[in-house]
Amino acid sequence: MQDQPITIRSWPQAILHLDADAFFASCEQAIHPELRGKPVITGKERGIVAAASYEAKARGIKRAIGLVDAKKICPEVIALPSDYETYSLFSVRMFEILRRFSPDVEEYSIDEAFVDLTGLRRKFHCSYEILAAKIQETVEKELGITVSIGVSLSKVLAKVGSKFNKPNGLTIIPGRDIHRYLGKLSVDKIWGIGPNTSAFLNKLGIRTALEFARKDMDFVKKHLSKPFQEIWGELNGISVYPVTAEPKSSYQSISKTKTFTPPSTDERFVFAQLSKNLENACIKARRYGLAARKLIVFLRKKDFRNIGIELKLSRPTAYPAELFDPLRKGFDQIFQAGIPYRLTGVVLSDLGPENRIQQTLFDDPAKIEKMEKIYHTVDELSAKYGKHTVQHAASLPTKLQMQHEGARGDIAARKTALFQGENKRQRLGLPMLHVKV
Amino acid sequence: MTTKDQKEQTLRSRVKEIAHFYYQRGRMPSFSEIGEMVGLKSKNAVSKLVKKLETLKVIERDEKGRLIPGSLRFPVRILGTVEAGFPSPAEEELADTLSLDDMLIQNHESTFLLKVSGDSMSGAGILPGDMVIVNKGQTPRSGDIVIAEVDGEWTMKYLKKSGNSVTLVPDNPNYQPIKPKNELKIAGVVTAVVRRYQ
Repeated sequence: MQDQPITIRSWPQAILHLDADAFFASCEQAIHPELRGKPVITGKERGIVAAASYEAKARGIKRAIGLVDAKKICPEVIALPSDYETYSLFSVRMFEILRRFSPDVEEYSIDEAFVDLTGLRRKFHCSYEILAAKIQETVEKELGITVSIGVSLSKVLAKVGSKFNKPNGLTIIPGRDIHRYLGKLSVDKIWGIGPNTSAFLNKLGIRTALEFARKDMDFVKKHLSKPFQEIWGELNGISVYPVTAEPKSSYQSISKTKTFTPPSTDERFVFAQLSKNLENACIKARRYGLAARKLIVFLRKKDFRNIGIELKLSRPTAYPAELFDPLRKGFDQIFQAGIPYRLTGVVLSDLGPENRIQQTLFDDPAKIEKMEKIYHTVDELSAKYGKHTVQHAASLPTKLQMQHEGARGDIAARKTALFQGENKRQRLGLPMLHVKV
Repeated sequence: MTTKDQKEQTLRSRVKEIAHFYYQRGRMPSFSEIGEMVGLKSKNAVSKLVKKLETLKVIERDEKGRLIPGSLRFPVRILGTVEAGFPSPAEEELADTLSLDDMLIQNHESTFLLKVSGDSMSGAGILPGDMVIVNKGQTPRSGDIVIAEVDGEWTMKYLKKSGNSVTLVPDNPNYQPIKPKNELKIAGVVTAVVRRYQ
């Protein structure tokens, strides 16, 4: 029973999952070649390890631990400030390389993608395994970062593959081999199964992914809800989740948060941080043609405790000028004088298309039209001269304190090594190699 | 009308047919489809036409030898004017122009920027502060300017290969050629230098 294949069809379809290895740290090692082979972490400005290179992981550094602890574990670790511009450029390039091979590329996150390879064997005159190896090689050659790849019959199985051997792994799981990979995998390691479901499955006597996959459909239908029935199908090599190739064109909610160090008790400064987050969130909402019906405001205290409040808006909007009143109201309700805060955030939620807003009886159309014109101009100026060329006065007190003081105030090399014609806000859309030649 | 003009006319109308097919169907036609479209009965004649269009860069071939659109792909606008009447020569000329990006960057995904700090390549016109464009995906050949790591040091030099030996040659009399003792790693090939004065 244990050795019986789950399905004897090797490739009814082929889904590839690609996961970049220690993505942020790898990007840094790619643009700073002298850091190759060394323990590198990013997230210096946040005081938290955002990503750790495999060399750093080998020395015991884990993600999300404090910078101070990381230095204790490994004194020679190299901490770098995050350079999201460069990481994003690498990410886009990674997806572009994948699209050379297949049009069906799903950008799952900044460093993960699903690719539907079904039917491409003929085009490239090679097996799925060789095709996946080609993809891996191309990414490494052109970007200088390594990725781990899994290829199998469904997204869930492809993810099992990409996790199976990391870093720089290539794991191919054809139908007849599925059971070999699921036998030793505990259920909580399956994509989509959280701690609660896995505890429940344990109670039903299911500990490994294989035990779960081998259950018959009636059993699964009796005990589990639809999402887990789908995962069960995926584990059996039946592709349920499609690879959706469209780039993200809409959002349910948009959130913007920012940490500052040291924590501040200054009301004006903290509110200005919030105001800047609001402006950023609105810029993004307008870019996607969305308007929010709800605004969530939250603050994080120095001791990492969060406090937040949700506000309903009288009219869906993406214009900060209309949102400052509720923002102020919410802020006054949660802000306590004398308590140091380390982070502020806003969430625009209940988003809907901006062009389908229904005006109410109490709206002032002339005022709304005026606002539309103003923000349209602001967006145009930003496109030409960079973000925050024009900003609300409420955001100005952010300048009272550096975003990050002391060693954390280091900024990414790309932002200081400018070429003639570049400026603080706008740089060429190509990553820069930082070597002295 | 001279025969030369006539020939050109036919060629133009054939290109239009192929372009039309490409935009309608989203793929390039096969040889037999081209034959049918332009009224050529033999595959050999089609092959000759394809070769001619290849030399004109109207169509190209991928690494596997299949046809892909060349300049035929870009001028979507021309398609409109084809239907409206004869395209004006000015527009046809502009359809084949390159942007600075296209000219400086061959493969966008493998292209990086680098700010030069030393003057060892001043003879080649690369000065401190210049921006060089580096292609990581390209196989370095002898005579290329490369970014390389030699025995733990990074440098930008001409790559000179002769037989089995490799030398990195500067273009400035104050510097000596380097022969790697242990290891030579090439990070990329310099494909352009850009300098903005103001």
